[in-house]
This record gives sequence, C-alpha cells and structure tokens, in this order.
Amino acid sequence: MKSLAIVVREDGYDKLLTPLAFAYLQGAEGTQVDLLFVNWAVRALTEEGAKGQVIQGEHADQDGWVRQQVEKAGLPPDIYDVIQALKATDNVNFYACSLASSIFGVNEDNLIPEASGIVGASWFLNEKAAKAEHCQYF
Amino acid sequence: MSDIKADSKLDTSGKCCPMPIVETNVAMKKINSGEILEIIATDPGTLTDIPSWCERTGHTLMESGESDGVIQFYVKKG
Repeated sequence: MKSLAIVVREDGYDKLLTPLAFAYLQGAEGTQVDLLFVNWAVRALTEEGAKGQVIQGEHADQDGWVRQQVEKAGLPPDIYDVIQALKATDNVNFYACSLASSIFGVNEDNLIPEASGIVGASWFLNEKAAKAEHCQYF
Repeated sequence: MSDIKADSKLDTSGKCCPMPIVETNVAMKKINSGEILEIIATDPGTLTDIPSWCERTGHTLMESGESDGVIQFYVKKG
C-alpha cells in the first residue's frame, strides 16, 4: 500500500488506539499515512488533550488495566507518546479539521508540533482521502 | 532449532501488534541485502503478518516454526 488516509472522530484512550496502531503499522512499512482528526478527537492533537485521553463509558473503570496491557504490548501507554512514535517514522501526518478545531478549542497556539496544521475538510477529502489507496473512518 | 545462521536477531517476545511489524521494519533497515534476520515472536498475529509482510516488501521468508507459543522466523533481506 502506498498511501492511507484515516479520519478519526471518536476520542477516548481506547478508541484512539486502533487508528493509531494501524497508522503505526503502515507508517513503519513506508506507507504515506494522513490522519484527519475531527469532532472531539481533534483535542487529541493538543498536548493537554492527548495526555488527558481516558477510557469513557462502561469501560472507564478498566482504564488503568488497559494502559498496563498497552505497555506490555510494547506501545507507549500515553497517547502523546504514541503520536510522537508515529511521527518518528517520517511517514505519518496529523491534521486537525478546521471546523472541529473551531468548535472544540484547538488553534495554532495549542496544536502539538507533531501536527502538520489545521486544514479544511474539503482539502483533506479531495487531496488526501480521495487520492489515497485506502481510506478508513474511526 | 533451525540450521539457518542468522546475521541479526530481533526478539519481540511479549509484544503485540503493531510492535512486531514496526520493529521488524526497523531491524530490516539495519541489515544488508542478502543477510538474514531471525525474528522471535509470541504474538499469534505474526503468523499471518510476517509472511504477508515478506511478500509485500520483497523479502524472503526462509523458514518459520512454532514451539510452546514461541514463533521463529528467518527472513532474508531482498
């Protein structure tokens, strides 16, 4: 696979793990991976938001156990550390949706340096998602 | 125990997807074409992931085996 586009809309520690793991797999293999964070998930592209990700809802009481399992699996247990590991592959780009950024309080001041910027959804859908070999939505 | 002599060894024991593939990619970049990487894994996902990865990336899976939950791969760099 040469390129993969991923749209991430669900936040929460556990819900972010799968798209990030898929991006890590493909980025490590040399695939160009572009992720657009929309809705609440855009806050994961701020340092506070990334570090503050927790498991919500019915599995909330298992947050600590899941983090231990993640660490045991070899991944950094902190979402921000995972984002940094993905960025280190040099093949993964993180984008914040401009609408989501506006609604959920993300701007150029609090956007993490690992993110490539705040972009319009139209640009991402046409230039990244439509041109990617494969596109996924989480 | 295989008779194949590996030039390099990667032990991913205890780690799960995506780490065995991520670390295999990194390890493979460090060896030369024609050299052999031995990969040790305990994640059952590697039984499908590593052969498929070899096919996609042009490397040769020379041998693989499993014993007591420990999976061993010998991959020659293409």
